[in-house]
Amino acid sequence: MNALEIKGISKSFGQKKVLDDISFQVPENCVFGFIGANGAGKTTTMKMILGLLKPDNGTGSIIACGEKVAFGSSKTNRLIGYLPDVPEFYGYMRPKEYLSLCAEIAGLDKKSIKGRINELLELVGLSDANKKIGGYSRGMKQRLGVAQALISEPKLLICDEPTSALDPIGRKEILDILRQIKGKATVVFSTHILADVERICDRVAVLNKGKIALESAIGELKVDRKSKSISLEFDKEVDADEVARVLASKGMAPAKCEIAERSIESLFLEAVK
Amino acid sequence: MIRQFQALSKKEFYESAATFRLYILLAVFLLFGMLSPLIAKATPDLLAAIDTGMVIEMPEPTALDSWTQFFKNVAQMGMIILVILYSGIMSNEFSKGTLVNLLTKGLSRSVVILAKFVAASIVWLASYLICLGTCWAYTIYFWGSVEISNAFLTFAAPWLFGEILIALLMLGGTIFSNVYGSLFTCFAAVVVLNAISLIPKASRYNPASLAGGTLALIAGAGEPSQFIPAMVVGAVLAAGLVVATIEVFKRKRV
Repeated sequence: MNALEIKGISKSFGQKKVLDDISFQVPENCVFGFIGANGAGKTTTMKMILGLLKPDNGTGSIIACGEKVAFGSSKTNRLIGYLPDVPEFYGYMRPKEYLSLCAEIAGLDKKSIKGRINELLELVGLSDANKKIGGYSRGMKQRLGVAQALISEPKLLICDEPTSALDPIGRKEILDILRQIKGKATVVFSTHILADVERICDRVAVLNKGKIALESAIGELKVDRKSKSISLEFDKEVDADEVARVLASKGMAPAKCEIAERSIESLFLEAVK
Repeated sequence: MIRQFQALSKKEFYESAATFRLYILLAVFLLFGMLSPLIAKATPDLLAAIDTGMVIEMPEPTALDSWTQFFKNVAQMGMIILVILYSGIMSNEFSKGTLVNLLTKGLSRSVVILAKFVAASIVWLASYLICLGTCWAYTIYFWGSVEISNAFLTFAAPWLFGEILIALLMLGGTIFSNVYGSLFTCFAAVVVLNAISLIPKASRYNPASLAGGTLALIAGAGEPSQFIPAMVVGAVLAAGLVVATIEVFKRKRV
């Protein structure tokens, strides 16, 4: 079964056509990367899945977890968790108070609320951060955002650029959390950071100029990807000449072999460990 | 629905306390309640203290003077403070985007508006009752027991006018998504209502008279039936504004 089916959706803001007849499916229990440049229409698509925006009249349909999404009605939203790109909270509340408000609105069983909140705070690593949300860092807010999105154990989790505004550590934490969710829920997340896609996605769709330019499983993408240039990374230090020799012995003598400069990201991660 | 309503009104009360709005309102109206009788009582002495060389003949102040002060304070400064403190009731949520998380959890949009309106109304009622109770107590203390004719009608009128103002702020905030939109809608409506009261025939039905106009009733000068049409129009107007806010919000992009 598909967790999400989008068929022939268009959306214009005034004269500008943001989405032009897009269709794609997201199978259950996968991590789906929704890739596109800034302004490609990712957020617009996500807001329509949540019923926060109305597709152009008479165009297509959106089916989430087997139910049709209707604008302005929040019926399907009990099955969907949503993490906005910059989640906003009531700064005067503490995380437990906020999650308890969310739980009551989502209609959770009164007895299970406390346990569920502790479980989620544990998952996102905020168990000890019991200060007012107003004093939270961006990364902490994002993690609390994941917790609030998961409060009602949704079948579908939609994250709008969850990592874009974060430092490398914050990004890694969010991606690790999303990876843990995989299997319990379907995750759709939009991003323009391709490295994130490679780390956790099973399937991807690329949105370009309001159309789906590419949709595929990551595995298929990789099999298809024969290339003249491949970069390798090892767990331990190796001798470049040795690598070239081994390859040559298999009939794949490299035309060029150079030692990669260490990426700033890896240096940063190591330095602040 | 009922649970969502409870959860959200709890949040509203918590917010009022956490942002000090509740305490400011209660304190200001407590002050008005105390000041009104005090000012009435002290005015002749104050005037006497200022030696202007003129002889001002002041009648001995009565309980009625105390109530005149009460209506003046509540209807003018009180309403202005109420409006300023509640100007962000909707617009803060929109400008910060704090409703997005809650709406995407299936929170009904009607519940948002109703819970906010009811919570604000209760805070307003509590502030108003404190003001009224204090004023009443001081007035009895200074002038002994006072007969008030048509007390309920008289004192319900300013509260009802406050309700109309809260509903206006909510409608304006929902339409314009910012504080200025809220304030503009509220002040524009009050100007229109006051303009209408220039037409003699319409003034009987005009809710603008609710703010301080029922004072005549206490003095025993007016007939309750004169004010009932304005009360009914006011209640219908407040309810209509809340319904309109819900309808606007349902169509709004969040």
